[in-house]
Amino acid sequence: MRVVVADDAALLRQGVARLLTDAGFDVVGESATADDLLDQVRTRKPDVAIVDIRMPPTHTDEGLRAALEIRASHPGVGVVVLSQHADVGLAMKLLDGSAVGVGYMLKESVVDSDELAEAVKRVAQGGSVLSPAIVSQLIGRPRLDDPLERLTPREHEILALMAEGRSNQGIAERLDISERAVQKHATSIFDKLELPAGANDHRRVLAVLRFLRPY
Amino acid sequence: MGVAKAAREAESHTARAPRGWVVWAIALAGCAAAATSFVLALNSDHVNEPGLQAALMDWITLPYIVAGLIAWRRRPESRFGPLMIVAGFVMFMSTLAWANAPLPFTIGQLFDLLPAVLFLHIFLAFPTGRLQHALDRVLIGVGYFTAVGLEVVGLMLGGFGPDNLLEVVSEPAAAHTLLQVQLVTLSALCLMGVVLLFSRRRHAGRLRRPVALLVDSFALGLVMIAVLFVTGAFDGPHFETIRRATFFVIGLAPAAFLVGLLSARLARSAVADLLVELRHDPPPSELRAALARALRDPSLTLAYWLPEYESWADLDGHPVLLSELADGRATTLIDRNDAHVAALLHDRSLDDEPELLDAVVAAAAIALENARLHAELRARLDELRGSRARIVEAGDSERRRLERNLHDGAQQRLVSLSLELGLVARRLAPGSDEEQLLIAARDELAASLKELRELAQGIHPAVLSDHGLTVALESLATRSPVPVALHVAVDGRLEPPVEVAAYYLVSEALTNVAKYAHASRAKVDVERENGTLIVVVADDGVGGADPDGGSGLRGLADRVEALDGHLRVSSRPAQGTTVRAEIPCA
Repeated sequence: MRVVVADDAALLRQGVARLLTDAGFDVVGESATADDLLDQVRTRKPDVAIVDIRMPPTHTDEGLRAALEIRASHPGVGVVVLSQHADVGLAMKLLDGSAVGVGYMLKESVVDSDELAEAVKRVAQGGSVLSPAIVSQLIGRPRLDDPLERLTPREHEILALMAEGRSNQGIAERLDISERAVQKHATSIFDKLELPAGANDHRRVLAVLRFLRPY
Repeated sequence: MGVAKAAREAESHTARAPRGWVVWAIALAGCAAAATSFVLALNSDHVNEPGLQAALMDWITLPYIVAGLIAWRRRPESRFGPLMIVAGFVMFMSTLAWANAPLPFTIGQLFDLLPAVLFLHIFLAFPTGRLQHALDRVLIGVGYFTAVGLEVVGLMLGGFGPDNLLEVVSEPAAAHTLLQVQLVTLSALCLMGVVLLFSRRRHAGRLRRPVALLVDSFALGLVMIAVLFVTGAFDGPHFETIRRATFFVIGLAPAAFLVGLLSARLARSAVADLLVELRHDPPPSELRAALARALRDPSLTLAYWLPEYESWADLDGHPVLLSELADGRATTLIDRNDAHVAALLHDRSLDDEPELLDAVVAAAAIALENARLHAELRARLDELRGSRARIVEAGDSERRRLERNLHDGAQQRLVSLSLELGLVARRLAPGSDEEQLLIAARDELAASLKELRELAQGIHPAVLSDHGLTVALESLATRSPVPVALHVAVDGRLEPPVEVAAYYLVSEALTNVAKYAHASRAKVDVERENGTLIVVVADDGVGGADPDGGSGLRGLADRVEALDGHLRVSSRPAQGTTVRAEIPCA
């Protein structure tokens, strides 16, 4: 699987590249700037681009803009955005409208090589990844007559994993239950929250997130 | 009154008005000249229709002398009056050519063309009587040489009949050609003068009405002189008719001048109107219009002296430079107790009506002083607002810098360190003591990173400066302990101080809702409307919040007001609290 890594902090960029190489990925390019990243995506045709959200020259939203640009002009390339902050607004902006092949991860969680590898694989297959730090904020947000209180603890757990972008199979593996059981729970959750039943995974993610957002 | 003293900055030449006997002597001389012209015409052996000719000449001579005398007495420092008097007498001198005796005839002939140049001179020198531009001086110099110098040559070449005392040789053909040259040159000069003055006037803005009348009548006279001379030079048709019409028009100019004087008299009643108007204490913003009406100068502007800043400013306290005056503009400084109060920037022709200026300034002295205080207050408020905004801005950018340093420094290094530890851990035997120790260290590191992240977030919301208000407010609303319905309608980015103010406003208001309001829900609405950002945070709690209390709202109000905005808190008991801010955002 071909990956490019973009981060202006060389130490971190090389660390991520080494982790991914160790985990069996083919790191075909490294970039320190957003422009260079866009070039590499064009020429080296990676499956996934890993992008730091703060990049030169202004270190504000260059990385995010590059990520959105890749999503718009190279729909086949998955994008994992790395941020040092668990910002709900930022994550929602990235996933706005489509949850296909996109991920938002906290930088500090990439040090867990299994988590990073799994995220890259999921995004490469057109799935989505949302940092648990974001999901816990969204689920923990207070609501009027909180509909989430109608969920059982297990359903609560499954809702969070759905919001992180996991498939039924992924959730089943994670919770060590059958995929059928996950399917049943999901149907129950959608009934209780009065959400339209999601046909596929990324539609389901969007429906869940739209429900969880304050706005 | 006498409290205000108008000091004329423009032409501050001091000159005494002519004494009474001088005026009377000139007036008598003028009458004598007029009578002499009549006698000469009626007894002349070479003048057709002598009565009409003499009447036309005196139609010019007498009004010029009278108008010149009046102008001289009114504005002794201006040469305009004397110039007009001279023009009147020169006109008379040219009538000596009607005499039958050779000497006066020759003198009269010498003066024949001079009046035309004098009219041009007066026209270009209006209203000071001085030629302000080098080009004008050249024009007039060439004119005098053509009218007098070449005339002497012409007389020496003969022609003009047997009474010409200056005849040296008799070359009538050459004399005729020379005369043609003179007439055409003078025509050209007159037309050039008219073009020059009108092109200059076009840049000076609207003319005051009486002045416009005077300038127009002079210009018409000069154009007719040009036509007359060309017709004369080439024996064109209707010469005599054109001549009479020209003389008639030239005589109109002093009439226009006198009309101007009359309207200055009428302006006195405008001063009375001004006094009545000022008694009603009009707001300073209406003072300019009132003064402009009284002075009949729609182009009038006012500047006020700010002693603290040693500069001039308009009513809103914005700086005004008096030195940048357009052509045809003048400044009148108004002082009181040896200190500047205000400056009137007006049409230069107002200098010609010092009494009117003095009267208006005296009538408006108190109002002008009030307006000056108003301007000073505005300037200070502006400065204060500016310094408040700068202080807030300085604090914000310092916080931004700290957050950036944390992000690029400690946070980045710790993440890298954690990564290194992870790589080391993979080389250790799974389940060994070393691996366990390393994993524990990484967990500790993760906890430190979390704390550092929250610290950085508390110092400055990076997401706000990096990604704007919409994104930052969603993060904020998600973290609120009270359910929030968020609605943001802001396209694109705003000025950083506006974004920061709006963000902290929502943040602080939501904190207050959580702490004091006992509310079940809150609503945040942010909209950009006609250059104003409107931020509303409302809850359904117990109300009764004190906007001036220690709720942090005071600091927010300061922030909003530093940006020229307003903050309103309505919080009646049991009706919830609504915080509404309006912040200008161009």
